[in-house]
Amino acid sequence: MSTATPSETTVLGACPHDCPDTCSMLFKVREGRVVGVQGNAEHPFTQGRLCAKTNHYQERIYHPDRVLHPLRRVGPKGEGRFERISWDEALTLIGERWRSIIGQSGPTAILPYGYLGTQGLVNGLTVGDAFFNKLGATVSERTFCDSGASTAYVMTVGPTPGMDPESLEHSRFIVLWACNVLSTNAHLWPFIERARAKGAKLIVIDPARTQTATSADQHIRVRPGTDGALALAMIHVVIAEGLVDRDYVRQHTVGYDELAEHVARYTPEFAAAETGVDAGVIRQLARDYATTQPSAIRIGVAIERSAGGGQLVRALACLPALVGAWRRPGGGLLQLPLWAFPVKWDRLHRADLIPPGTRVLNQWRIGAALTGEIPLDPPIRSLFVYNSNPLVVAPDQLRLKRGLAREDLFTVVSEHFLTDTARYADLVLPATTQAEQHDLMFSWGHLYLTLNRPAITPLGEAVPNAELFRRLATTMGIEDPFFHRDDQQILRESVDWDHPSMQGITMEMLEAQGYARLSLPSADTFAPHAEGGFPTPSGKVELKASMAAGGNFVLPTFRQGSNEHQDGTPVPALPTYRPPRESRSASPELAARYPLAMMSPKSHSFLNSTYANHRRQLSREGEQKVFMHASDADRRGIASNDLVRVHNDRGSFVGVAKIGEETMPGVIIAPMGHWMASSRAEATPAAINPTAFADLGCAPSFSDNLVEVSRA
Amino acid sequence: MPHVVTDHCQDCRYTKCVDVCPVDCFHGSAERLYIDPEVCIDCAACVPICPVKAISDSFDLDGDGDALVELNRRMSLELPVVDAVAEPLPTAEAKRVALGY
Repeated sequence: MSTATPSETTVLGACPHDCPDTCSMLFKVREGRVVGVQGNAEHPFTQGRLCAKTNHYQERIYHPDRVLHPLRRVGPKGEGRFERISWDEALTLIGERWRSIIGQSGPTAILPYGYLGTQGLVNGLTVGDAFFNKLGATVSERTFCDSGASTAYVMTVGPTPGMDPESLEHSRFIVLWACNVLSTNAHLWPFIERARAKGAKLIVIDPARTQTATSADQHIRVRPGTDGALALAMIHVVIAEGLVDRDYVRQHTVGYDELAEHVARYTPEFAAAETGVDAGVIRQLARDYATTQPSAIRIGVAIERSAGGGQLVRALACLPALVGAWRRPGGGLLQLPLWAFPVKWDRLHRADLIPPGTRVLNQWRIGAALTGEIPLDPPIRSLFVYNSNPLVVAPDQLRLKRGLAREDLFTVVSEHFLTDTARYADLVLPATTQAEQHDLMFSWGHLYLTLNRPAITPLGEAVPNAELFRRLATTMGIEDPFFHRDDQQILRESVDWDHPSMQGITMEMLEAQGYARLSLPSADTFAPHAEGGFPTPSGKVELKASMAAGGNFVLPTFRQGSNEHQDGTPVPALPTYRPPRESRSASPELAARYPLAMMSPKSHSFLNSTYANHRRQLSREGEQKVFMHASDADRRGIASNDLVRVHNDRGSFVGVAKIGEETMPGVIIAPMGHWMASSRAEATPAAINPTAFADLGCAPSFSDNLVEVSRA
Repeated sequence: MPHVVTDHCQDCRYTKCVDVCPVDCFHGSAERLYIDPEVCIDCAACVPICPVKAISDSFDLDGDGDALVELNRRMSLELPVVDAVAEPLPTAEAKRVALGY
């Protein structure tokens, strides 16, 4: 901590959001109040920059709509009328209801629902796991993002950090695949630009013409969900044209001969028919990728969101090994550097406390689960939501709304605001913002641990999530001291300080500097797999994946540590193309009624639904937009700024048409994040998103979504 | 709404901002700079760097935010990118003092 002026102090913080960049953030505090925030210019990765979401984080802290006291519902569910009650009253009510439910139906009638609304090790993903596992509640399978890609990645190269994001500056050929870096991973951009200044070529593969795409040397537009054909055709060309790094393949991979035979079918002509990309472009891409070393592929979270999304990532995880990209810094695949952090997941989840056999429910199915369309015995009788706003992020919005409206469902929501979900709660509990809590942040986009120190005391009666679960443990009579550790102790016990990657990193250092790079070689020399050493069962890149034999699975990290009741659906051991489920070829009858494919990417100024109730960010985003290509708009008599209704059998929402080149013919783009309460027709893109999973890791398939658009 | 360069830059042109901009969104005449709103990503790194607080989120400019965005947009179309720090104008210090910074 340093002092700027006698009246203003600077507190070292960290951005709490579910974004790969995890910025080192400075809280400016005057007289006990955060008066501004600023990026920390000292941080080597985030370099003093924040973003359109967080530049004015103080407006979130002091937003007039913040929930600062426990609230009890007084009107019908969803109406949003509440009365203030005390914490004691709230906890007593929860205790009474849960004891009654457990007595009548058993603890699995309680469902926790949370994700990364804040992603610190103390208050984030795992904060409620030990409590709910001890309670014996239904285990939540939280495959919100990257679960499918992670399953594919781990099957192929193991849980390796992969390439250091900072080493991208040494890349000579960079492919951003399904990744809008300038909006969702912006602090990576300077490293890409440094590489380009040295002559690197940048390729963006994305159906959308994002700002990132227009900034690239080449933008390759694929039809949504067909990327797998492109990736497999690249493998085909690399093998057919003898561009394989034979030594690397012989020493550090398994299954090459079978892969080579398998991909013979995936010609550039085959891929051209699927993707809409010219076969010549595909050939050239494969040649350049293979021969311009070191080459790097950066994949975005949305890459998994179609029927074949998992197998697409399997193919992409094979490519760097085939061309020997791993040999040098700046080469390889960048997925989740999260795997570099020695997080003590077992101690955070405490899966050892789960009563054997406890059922697991995937959170994308919450609508069907609450309405009884998934037969559950016992049914879900209580829902506890924290770090999430399912009504906007989960698919099947209409069904979920019906489920949440159930009078017999006891719903508790811990939140900053009366979100769409919180409006359906019986009880709303006030949560602190990052300025009011202590946390330690991993990153899934760089290799720095970042400490967040509380800048101010909590507003009103808001509590950090960790304190919430201490209170709930007391309420439920859990006396084990593990459940009553203070935030500092949880924080200290969340990582393995003795791990080699923590060498030289101390709490004192984090408190003084705010961040620390994991003890790994510098990005200028770090080539983690130059000599192989992949953490797979064979120790090699598994082009033919031995883990496929066990069928489809979700990493326990995404399911409170549980490894029971895995999906187990057969998985091809070799990367295999699967076209979109909702497409002309796979479902012609559906495509006749709903001829347009819809994608719902992240908005520039919202983090999912976070900030969509802030005037500043709303003024930048405007209301819900629906980007269309002129050829599709003309056919429907739609002009720019017309109100349009987007619909399919699952539901509909209304937005403002924007006609242009942002999207390609046959594809509409509806950025997500707006709240139902402030949307026309009180519905958002989630109303028409499918509940079907991608092929691996129970990832969602939101980019595999056929719709029709008409003037509203 | 994106960030804009305001009239504070006129006769100053400190150009410290261009050094921290990750996307080269600054354009300039001989007298001042502008931000191309189509390129700026709102990282705000330039805001605390400017000695005369010439850069602002247009949301914070009462009333004339839209006009300033348009001015910045229009001038960015006409003027070249400025991506290297240059000496401030000779009038910069006097302007800074006059502005009270």
